[in-house]
Amino acid sequence: MSEPSASGHATAESAPAYGLIAEFQTPNALVKAARAAREKGYRKLDAYTPFPIEELTDALHLHHNRLPLLVLLGGLTGGALGYLLQYFVTVIYYPINVGGRPLHSWPEYFVITFECTILFAGLTTVLGLLGLCGLPMPYHPVFNAKRFALASRDRFFLCIESEDPLFERQKTAQFLESLDAKEVSEVAH
Amino acid sequence: MAEEQNVVMERPEPHEIIAPGYTFSSITDQIASVVQTKRTPPFWFLGFGLGLALLGVFAISTTLLFILGPGIWGLRTPVMWGFAITNFVWWIGIGHAGTLISAILLLLNQKWRNSINRFAEAMTLFAVACAGMFPILHLGRPWLAFWLFPYPDTMGIEPNFRSPLVWDVFAVSTYATISAVFWFVGLIPDLATLRDRAGNKIARVIYGLLAMGWRGSAKHWSVYETASLLLAGLATPLVLSVHTVVSFDFTVAIVPGWHSTFFPPYFVAGAIYSGFAMVLVLAIPLRSVYGLEGLITDKHLDNCGKVMLATGLIVAYAYILEAFTGWYSGNIFEAAAIHHRMTGPYMSSYWSLVACNIIAPQLLWFKRIRNTPALLFLSSMVVLCGMWLERFVIIVSSLAQDFVTSSWGIFHATRWDWGVFLGTIGLFLTLFFLFIRGLPMISIFEVRTLLPHAKVDKEVAE
Amino acid sequence: MTAQTSVDFRVSDGLRSDLGRWRTRALIVGVIGMLAMAAGLLVFHQPFQFYQSYLWAFLFVLGLAVGPLAWLMLQYLTGGAWGVVIRRPAEAAARTLPLVLVLFLPIIIGIPNLYPWAHPAVVAADRVLTHQAPYLNYRFFLLRALVYFFGWMFLSYYFNRWSLVEDRDGPAKAHGKMSFLAGPGVIFWSLSVTFMSIDWVLSLHSQWFSTMFGLLFMVGQGLTSMAFLIALLVALQARAPMSQVLTKRHFHDLGKLMFALTMVWAYFSYSQFLIIWTGNLPEEIPWYLSRTNGGWGYIAMGLVLFHFALPFSLLLSRDLKRNAKLLRNVAIFVLFMRMVDLFWQVTPYFYGSAFHLSWMDIAAPAGLIGIWLAYFFIQLEKRPLMPLHEPNLEEALNHGRE
Repeated sequence: MSEPSASGHATAESAPAYGLIAEFQTPNALVKAARAAREKGYRKLDAYTPFPIEELTDALHLHHNRLPLLVLLGGLTGGALGYLLQYFVTVIYYPINVGGRPLHSWPEYFVITFECTILFAGLTTVLGLLGLCGLPMPYHPVFNAKRFALASRDRFFLCIESEDPLFERQKTAQFLESLDAKEVSEVAH
Repeated sequence: MAEEQNVVMERPEPHEIIAPGYTFSSITDQIASVVQTKRTPPFWFLGFGLGLALLGVFAISTTLLFILGPGIWGLRTPVMWGFAITNFVWWIGIGHAGTLISAILLLLNQKWRNSINRFAEAMTLFAVACAGMFPILHLGRPWLAFWLFPYPDTMGIEPNFRSPLVWDVFAVSTYATISAVFWFVGLIPDLATLRDRAGNKIARVIYGLLAMGWRGSAKHWSVYETASLLLAGLATPLVLSVHTVVSFDFTVAIVPGWHSTFFPPYFVAGAIYSGFAMVLVLAIPLRSVYGLEGLITDKHLDNCGKVMLATGLIVAYAYILEAFTGWYSGNIFEAAAIHHRMTGPYMSSYWSLVACNIIAPQLLWFKRIRNTPALLFLSSMVVLCGMWLERFVIIVSSLAQDFVTSSWGIFHATRWDWGVFLGTIGLFLTLFFLFIRGLPMISIFEVRTLLPHAKVDKEVAE
Repeated sequence: MTAQTSVDFRVSDGLRSDLGRWRTRALIVGVIGMLAMAAGLLVFHQPFQFYQSYLWAFLFVLGLAVGPLAWLMLQYLTGGAWGVVIRRPAEAAARTLPLVLVLFLPIIIGIPNLYPWAHPAVVAADRVLTHQAPYLNYRFFLLRALVYFFGWMFLSYYFNRWSLVEDRDGPAKAHGKMSFLAGPGVIFWSLSVTFMSIDWVLSLHSQWFSTMFGLLFMVGQGLTSMAFLIALLVALQARAPMSQVLTKRHFHDLGKLMFALTMVWAYFSYSQFLIIWTGNLPEEIPWYLSRTNGGWGYIAMGLVLFHFALPFSLLLSRDLKRNAKLLRNVAIFVLFMRMVDLFWQVTPYFYGSAFHLSWMDIAAPAGLIGIWLAYFFIQLEKRPLMPLHEPNLEEALNHGRE
């Protein structure tokens, strides 16, 4: 991102661009713009913000993700493995009388079962988060955008990607400029 | 690079959890500049130096321990659980407040947590690291610690899954893992901020690698928020389970004074009590040294004081019930155990803990005391001592005088008991000061959400 | 949307006629139940059965009246919007305490039928009972019961009085008064419920004791009253004024509390069970032996599945917590399981592991709950259904409309 981005429209005519990015000063302006872009029919778009904005998920229709389901499955797997481990060891593999308790001392197995459930569910959450976000991703075209370092500070960006069927360099740029954007620039690949 | 941003504060926060006048960029700069600066305050060198010195004590004590064995501690029959287990329970309890702040308060939608969760979580990690030392050091042959885990071995034996000591292995290692990933996930957006702010190339590469290419995409934030809530939902029962399992170490044994059914919630309350005391002990000096009073406000200290008061009262409830059931049960061993605690050789410890844990914290009822940082700091220190004494009295007094009078004995701590205990305080301080120097001690992105202009207007949202 | 402070929070005419109808129905059920109980005592001469059934049913009703006090005080302590919508129903429930005191009288009469410590011969023959005699005797038992009731009724009086003042004169003075007593009030509540559970339940048997017992009763009361308040709010939602107040968000918040308490109940119950099961001490384990063997074993299994596992899995769902009708069904089911839990706790004291269910175990809850509900509805319609000058009122009204 230290590289200055392809400045203006002139050079971009030749090289295929990643998309157009607009910079906003407030969350309000960004949410309004995202909503307008959605209404206009753009689908390949993403916003970049320094903190989570709940209204954006609504504006960009990002509602459901599969993470809770993955975590549930991970937790159930962990719990089952935890219980089976104890059952296998104490009943089948190494049966031994401890304090006169039954070989299958189920009341005492809940603790480890519980801990394994949480462990697997927690690790699934983190791996699922990284997987669904496609991280780690050291390079991404959006980092080429001018002043994009401010996306982790105090600026709010909306990017319409060139893959969008409605994407037309001129029109899209005009559209973005009409949205109260502080600045609209092109993002090189 | 930052242009002036003139955003008017139209809607001041009602609860004073952030001072007025902050902007997104001033929050970023204030928190990040603690890390990204060439100047390190003398306070940091003082704290870090103290930590290193005590860490040296730790190194000497444990080296001697490894060479000579746990006999250098005061452990003699019948008291085979002395300082080591006391310290284990104490440290891990301190860790609980960090998880409580980051997970439970997140689920309860308590915004004030946003400015204290980061360093509280770091405190959790380091406290668990200190706690985790003790069961291993206590093993006698600590290099065989991996025997605690079930694995297919050639000895043909397996851990006893009916023992709470094995539950501890699972509970504490799960707790350490989940706390670490929760903490790291919370750091990712801030690492990206540090990356984008870094002036020097090496720092940028390091923070860049750690941030893993985080770019603040709305798609990512949406998954990220789900993941945070899920981790909080998992960490909440986990943190309760950890001290519950620790309490099972005692209750599952039938030793009088240990075998009490309400130990699980009572231990959890005590853990949160000491943990919030530690949060205050860390927060009060930090905020004044680094000038963070605008982010960690008096309201935060007040709230922490209130949580301390509430958990302290639960602990008081436990003492009352313990004494009452000791008598009511008509069980001579239970009654004797309580009697010994109050009048026996450990009575000075017992009554000091009552003074520290029950009587002194009643001052927290007064708003004036909660709003005077120096007094709050003092009472937190008192609570930390009280909770340590409580663990000590529960563990040692019950073992010293159990069923058979002929086998009674008294525990005398040696200098090496103290050496290892103070040594872990050194480990904690060292890690903590490294943390505040290298990573943002307040969650930058979460504090940004506290600003009035971070909220989207209702008309826009609809 | 802005705050609808223009809403008239008084009970609307439509709701008044609803409440009247519910009251009549509750009264009919209550009177039939009470008559059946009276017949059991006087016609069929089964005093033991009468008092046993009466005791656990009374404990359930006590949870409905005393539990809401805790929610009221917690609301004043924590502030925020979640508790504003339950304030008036909780206050009304607390105002039924005089009736609950009257309903307690049969238990005083029934002491010799219930408690072993009431018989000097039994006490003299039992070492533990002799030891406990300074605590467990008629005079001190009654004195403590008086203290509990006096304290609860004082708290009820205090919070209702200042709530009325707040409606009339605004929150300036009244809210401070209520917040002031909330902290000490919660302390009194937890100690009184603990010792109440020891006096009225634990002392049914001399040998067994558990330090968890009081906590289990506190959670039980909290869960009972929260489930009741949720079910009530859904019923009130059909008519003005609550139809203009309640949103999905309110039910979501209250549903979360019910969910949390379901887990805490399971946590306390499991901890107590595990500690006693592994300890396996002769003075402790019989309590569980009689409750997990024979017919009681099925009830115990039922508690695990239906007091914990089923509500837990259902309440995990965010959508369910936001669906008032479904949430009400879960709440009513939880109330039923609370009764099963109390029945399972109390009855085996008298019969050991032999399962025992009498027709009076159905008549007693019907009678007590019916009478109590009728009186509760009378109390409920006396005041506006929302506090008029609560400082968090606007936040509560905007809750879920943002």
